[in-house]
Amino acid sequence: MLEKQEVMASPRLAKYRFYLRQRPTLLVVLSVVTVLFFLSVTGLAKIYFGQRESLGTRWFTRGLADLKAANYAAAVTEFRTALLYSRDDYSYQLNLAEALIGLKRTGEASAYLLNLWDREPDNGLVNLELARIARQQRRTDDAIRYYHDAEYAAWPRDEENQRREARLELIDLLLQNKDIGDAQAELIALAANVDDQPDMQKEIGDLFLRAADYEHALAAYRTVLRANRHDETAMAGAGYAAFQLGRYPLAQHYLGLATTTDSKDIRSAQLLQTADAVLHLDPFRPQISAVDRSKIVLDDFAVAGRRLSTCPLPKSSAPGPNGSSSSLDDEWNALKSRMNTVGLRRDPNLADTAMDLAFRIERETNVLCGTPSGADLALLLIAKLHEGT
Amino acid sequence: MADELNPESELHVQNGRGHAAAWIHEHSPRQLWRMAFREDRFFLILSVFIGVLSGLSVVCFRFAIDWSRLYLLGTGAVLTPMRMLLAPSLAGLLIAVLVIHLFPTTRGSGVNQTKAALYIFNGNIPIRTAIGKFITAALAIGSGHSLGPEDPSLQIGACLASLLGRKMRLSRDRMRLIAPVGAAAGLAAAFNAPISAVLFVIEEVIGRWTAGILGSVVLSAISSVVVMRWFLGSESLFRIPAVELKNPTELIAYAALGVVGGLASVVFASGITTLRPKCKALPLWTQYLQPAIGGLLIGVIAMLGAPQVMGAGYEYMDQAMHGQFTWQFLAILAGAKIVATLLSFVSGTPGGMFAPTLFIGAMLGASIGGLQHIFFPHLTGSTGTYALVGMGVLFAGFLRAPMTSVFMVLEVSGNYSIILPVIVANTFAYVISRGLQPIAIFDLLTRQDGLDLPSMEEQREEDVLRVEDAMQPADGPVLEGEKTLDQALAELDGAKNDDILVRMSPGGWNSVTREQLTQLAGEGKGASKLGSLLPIRQVPYLHPDHPLEMALRYVDRWPIVPVVSRADFRQLEGVVSQRAVLERYREFGEG
Repeated sequence: MLEKQEVMASPRLAKYRFYLRQRPTLLVVLSVVTVLFFLSVTGLAKIYFGQRESLGTRWFTRGLADLKAANYAAAVTEFRTALLYSRDDYSYQLNLAEALIGLKRTGEASAYLLNLWDREPDNGLVNLELARIARQQRRTDDAIRYYHDAEYAAWPRDEENQRREARLELIDLLLQNKDIGDAQAELIALAANVDDQPDMQKEIGDLFLRAADYEHALAAYRTVLRANRHDETAMAGAGYAAFQLGRYPLAQHYLGLATTTDSKDIRSAQLLQTADAVLHLDPFRPQISAVDRSKIVLDDFAVAGRRLSTCPLPKSSAPGPNGSSSSLDDEWNALKSRMNTVGLRRDPNLADTAMDLAFRIERETNVLCGTPSGADLALLLIAKLHEGT
Repeated sequence: MADELNPESELHVQNGRGHAAAWIHEHSPRQLWRMAFREDRFFLILSVFIGVLSGLSVVCFRFAIDWSRLYLLGTGAVLTPMRMLLAPSLAGLLIAVLVIHLFPTTRGSGVNQTKAALYIFNGNIPIRTAIGKFITAALAIGSGHSLGPEDPSLQIGACLASLLGRKMRLSRDRMRLIAPVGAAAGLAAAFNAPISAVLFVIEEVIGRWTAGILGSVVLSAISSVVVMRWFLGSESLFRIPAVELKNPTELIAYAALGVVGGLASVVFASGITTLRPKCKALPLWTQYLQPAIGGLLIGVIAMLGAPQVMGAGYEYMDQAMHGQFTWQFLAILAGAKIVATLLSFVSGTPGGMFAPTLFIGAMLGASIGGLQHIFFPHLTGSTGTYALVGMGVLFAGFLRAPMTSVFMVLEVSGNYSIILPVIVANTFAYVISRGLQPIAIFDLLTRQDGLDLPSMEEQREEDVLRVEDAMQPADGPVLEGEKTLDQALAELDGAKNDDILVRMSPGGWNSVTREQLTQLAGEGKGASKLGSLLPIRQVPYLHPDHPLEMALRYVDRWPIVPVVSRADFRQLEGVVSQRAVLERYREFGEG
């Protein structure tokens, strides 16, 4: 019975075997096997990457803690370990770069940062760090480029402040490189984008001072003083800016306040002295009587004479107002005999002639003997103030 | 109407119906189905499956290596001394037991075994080899033995291909070719570089460019890389630095790198070929301990300050490329890696030589780049460029695959501007290595294993005999087919040769004997043109640059074969005869 069944079954089996051995059938089987293998590897990959991710996160967290504690060497090792599990993780690389910067291994850091920059050229932090490294390495052009990119880049959080920080660093770099024009342009853009926050305005004022833009500096300090009338730094800054602008009464006001508030502020005290002297020795200031003006002219003339005696000028060093080649010493001596209250009253042009001579003497001696101090400095500043008038 | 009466038109219609029927028959679903599964086409389809399966296997292999590293060496980048010593030693013991008792065919790198499958075993590689290689190599590399995953991947791919070939009942010819197809797939997936994998398999395993296999090799390599990238991403094994050649004078430094790399290759290869047979000759019980001792010594090297030598070391190549080591330390690492790899390989631990070769090259390159940077800072490109070129240098010098080495660096760097330094450095390395060690490392290893596989390098450089080497000037006059038989006989007056060449018109050559001419003249055909009297079948001709083997096809049927110019087929350069050809071969054989 069994044999009969086998005989019946064997042709059928042979038929199945025949079809199973056909290439199309084999190909179908192979496809099924491949799909199953693929699915298995997909499952395996999920486990594998899940495990790596968790390991990476664990090491990264440790690294962050060490970075925060300025324990850079440990942070580098931990971030490196984290990167073993996720080589392309952006934040792992970025933090590793920061830790490397902390260790002053800027070469390695920039390798990571450049890689990150390639991936995201508009990442603010990467641009800022690259700018800082370029600045350290004295690659100014690169640094400026990266700072610019950082200013307009995307920041993950606190975008306005981060951009402002980048711009402030750029301005600092420009000022360091004496690139005053660009620095002023950046500062004006910065000032336009900040609110009246006193600290910020104070910093802007300082930068404007460094950029020799006294008008904007004064405005910034005044904004600070509107918020806090007793801010010594702002008072001193405003006084300095007003002084540089030749607004001596204003300078006197602010500098006076500054020195009253902070008696140790020597610079403000010196400036105040000079401003006082300028205001005292300026015969052209408004609202003074003719007598006072004559007195001031006589004083100024005497100051110039003393300056000539301490800093003798060579003969014919400068032509006179009429093109004469006599020396300033001769001119001063020639005028001296007429310089008295009566002479000034009789000759209305004498005051101008005397002041012109005094100014020329101060300018010449300034060139020859260096910047004066005290009344001579005041006279020089008065000369500058009335230049062209 | 006219057409119906025209018999020619009827014929056209009949012919048309015949063509149509033939076309329908040829394009019937049954025929198309059969054509699709014809062996050559089926082989191409199979190549894609081989690629996909190899890619999947290599992905699993990578997972296995990483897992074994995690559990044996720990999760941190900084290893503890205990793990440094114990992991490779204990894994070595286990590997030895597995290799001796379960997987004896898994020793070594796997390249030679694949070659042996092609030339000796008709493409058959037992699947057990793949399983054994997978387990033992993953354990070895993961535990810190200084070996790489590429060659094992190559062998795993070849094994899978062989298994598929057997199951699909391929013919013997196809079976022989299937192992290289799988090998290319495995290597491409492991290295994430399909072009280099294809070139390496052609250059080192197959040894010749054949159109029949090229398509399959390329298909399998590409499919495996696609699968690998699907799972592991398309990133290169290391971050590629900015590649630049700052100044043409820098080529001198690259030439120096080639020289140093060539010498290092010779030291490395000599170490392996000297120590391997000595280790194999030791008593059997020592075989159980050799991988463990090798592992222990590697652990000692790691403890002494060079943990970078453990494992494949791709992350350290990456760091070297980005200037994270001093040139002195890089040089030390190159030396330490040579020692560590020697220890791993000669102890019979299964694993590949590719990664260590690249590691040594990268360290040497970066070291020379760093040194150059100290002396000529303004004339030196990035250290990474030197490291990349260094990899190619060792590949050319140690593995002796010059073409693959150039393309590998190009493929990995993705930058064409590196080609000049690579060619300069690789040429120096190859020439020095070839000069100091005439036999390539893979050939030496094969011979040590008692196999005689064709050496691709020797084949490449073998002198080839050409037709011009056996060519002789034509003995006697050459007759013109346009002339009459009487004129031809008159020309033959005084000539002594019996076999005479006839230049036919408008082209081609024929030959005739003096006796045949006399016989034709006796039949009264003296006024007939000689060409019309000769048989239609003409004498084949050769060109001087043809290989001499080609002459062998004809010289037994024709007593003399004309050798003609390639520019003018009617211009006779000389003749070859059977005797002259055999004489030349005899002289060649005698050296």
